[in-house]
Amino acid sequence: MKRLGLLFSSLLLLAGCTTESGSGISGELRFAGSAISGATVEVYLKSGKDRKTQPFVVGETGQDGRYQLELPSGNYFIIGKKRENGEDGRPRMLMAECPTNPVAVENGMVEVPPFALQEMGRSGKLVPEPGTALLGRVVSEGEPVTGAFVYVYTEASVDLKGPSYATSVQTDDAGTYRIPLPQGEYWLAARKRGVGGRLGEPTPGDLNGVHPDNPVRLSRGSESRLADLTLRPVSNESFQQQQAAGKFATTETAFVGLVANGDGEPVDGIYLFAYIDSGMVGKPSYISAQTGGDGRFRINLGSGGSYYIGARSNFGGPLEPGEWVGTFDGRADHRADIASGRTVDLGVITVREIW
Amino acid sequence: MVKFLVTILICMIPASAFSLSLTGETVWQGEKTIREQVRVEAGATLRIQPDSRIVFDGVGLEVAGRLVVRDAVLTGDQWTGITLKGVGIDTMVVGGEISGARTGLTVGGGSPRIEGVTFRNNRIGLELRQKSDATVSGSLFRDNLRVGLFLKDGSTAGVVDNRFERNGKFGVYIYRSTPRRFVGNIFNDNPTGLMISHFGSDPELVENCLTGNEVAVLVDKAARPTLRRNDIRDNKVGLKIHRRSDAVVEQNRVSSNDIGVSIAFSSYPVLHGNDLSGNKAAVYLEHQSRQWEEQLGSATRELEAGKSVFGSQPRQSVSESERKPHQLDGSIDATDNWWGETALDELTRKGADGNLSFIDDGRDRPVFEDGDGSWPLDKVRYAPWRTSPIDWLKE
Repeated sequence: MKRLGLLFSSLLLLAGCTTESGSGISGELRFAGSAISGATVEVYLKSGKDRKTQPFVVGETGQDGRYQLELPSGNYFIIGKKRENGEDGRPRMLMAECPTNPVAVENGMVEVPPFALQEMGRSGKLVPEPGTALLGRVVSEGEPVTGAFVYVYTEASVDLKGPSYATSVQTDDAGTYRIPLPQGEYWLAARKRGVGGRLGEPTPGDLNGVHPDNPVRLSRGSESRLADLTLRPVSNESFQQQQAAGKFATTETAFVGLVANGDGEPVDGIYLFAYIDSGMVGKPSYISAQTGGDGRFRINLGSGGSYYIGARSNFGGPLEPGEWVGTFDGRADHRADIASGRTVDLGVITVREIW
Repeated sequence: MVKFLVTILICMIPASAFSLSLTGETVWQGEKTIREQVRVEAGATLRIQPDSRIVFDGVGLEVAGRLVVRDAVLTGDQWTGITLKGVGIDTMVVGGEISGARTGLTVGGGSPRIEGVTFRNNRIGLELRQKSDATVSGSLFRDNLRVGLFLKDGSTAGVVDNRFERNGKFGVYIYRSTPRRFVGNIFNDNPTGLMISHFGSDPELVENCLTGNEVAVLVDKAARPTLRRNDIRDNKVGLKIHRRSDAVVEQNRVSSNDIGVSIAFSSYPVLHGNDLSGNKAAVYLEHQSRQWEEQLGSATRELEAGKSVFGSQPRQSVSESERKPHQLDGSIDATDNWWGETALDELTRKGADGNLSFIDDGRDRPVFEDGDGSWPLDKVRYAPWRTSPIDWLKE
């Protein structure tokens, strides 16, 4: 394994940081199903739109596509990039954000799951290549499923759940789909929610499934017809198990508090969101279960740190009329700090109805 | 022939609890108190028989299978309501009452029928979402705390011959939806009778009657409905067309309101062939200026739309090119309308560009202040006008 130097080691010194012996990250970048060499690995201290500064550390992948960077303890956001000329001779940008961001470094080297770069269009989305697509059918109990959403993930490490999919399409009346894509390696999942939406955790009775041949490979210029993707109903039991084991599992580090309306009355049905990004946009790092009749909440966190806290009655999407929304206002920027292993009471978070 | 095990539960006396999950065929009859959340599984049917009274103790009913309710009362104190998840046309709620819920009936997708139901004292009476193609007819929405009927998420429902009275904020709220039919509904005594909001709400609203509301119809945030042959009388404001909304208003009776049509914030509706007689002010313009729109309209909207849910990061779901008015000449097209007998005399005297007593526009208030500047207020273009009353229901 090739070990790469730190280009910004001076930053570490300026910041007064020192790396614990041998702590850092290692991993592999891929593209179109193969390891990619000469790609840049950028490590940031913040995510998304907060990332206005230079990267904290920059490295490069070796011939085997692997990288290793020494870092002090902390949470990091990893991005892979490579600018190169495509087979048609035109320059193109390959890029991807590590799906497991933020990556926590404590002691020793952390092996980051491999992730694949994607060719970026001007919109920052996957750019389909001519005549290149995945085709298939979604079935349940042998019958085609109309209106199911088929999600294309570029990584398996996100468990094929949540909004980090690269693209999605809806099946037609025959339960079939066609997804134009660039060549690459993909993981497919499909869901059909009783209420018909694209987003949200499948609940009992909804149909859910992943493709049996994951990961599927797609070559440039080919339309690859896949085997049927079978959906099965989410049972009460599996839903409860998922709730217990998933994002709502209790951790030792948590924010707790009460959601109330302007009159101080508890409000139920509210989700609490914890963002690392101060803009509080996109996918939150942690989310609570909905408040109950007592308005109490608990946001279980993977680790301590600084979080920006919002509350709303919808799971995602733009604000809708009639929705409840609010923020933690203990600080003007809605930030709350917490140490690992502690429970911090945020007090009352006031929500208001939007019309 | 395959035989199914069918479970039939007929309860004639009060019961305290039911199983969480219903499969097969279930019948509820008589008086019941439900203390556990109940779910009707896909492929199962729940029938609630006439004259039943089901009290939900803080819980609700979720239906992924089929629900058939006739002339039953479904009630409780702050219960969660009924949720229909992608049910078919064979699910129906007919007659009876749904009351006391946070949302009386939520329809996510699917195409159920709701006929002759009274929705009252819910926070929201009936909410149709996720492209629901439900049919709602002959129902009464009264005294719901916020909204009687809420259509959202691209619902294409048919809404016919319903009555909306004394709801807390809105009789009907159409949000990013275009119902396939919206005909023959009656709105009375609501703060806002009918709200049509956001780009993507382009319904055709036909032959509805709106009387005695604070605002009968409010069109907001780039919605573009078409209103035809509606009877809009005795409201404080008949039509309020607001924030880049370009409604088409044709062949309606908009009369005897304090303000017939209020137009504000760069909205350019077309008003043709209407009866606009008997209003204290037939048309009233406010913060409405071609010059303001050209210089500040886009920037102001982007600032307003650029708010995220919690903070100030940009979010954009509608492009400015979609919202921007395509033709701006500083006038509102209100030609070919009937303004009333008294108005006719004044029109004859003052001609095509007079300052009319029943139109309040840039002829009355040449400029308005906004920020550091003053901006010329648009004018209403009213000539030619009708010289005889309009048989507005037949035109």
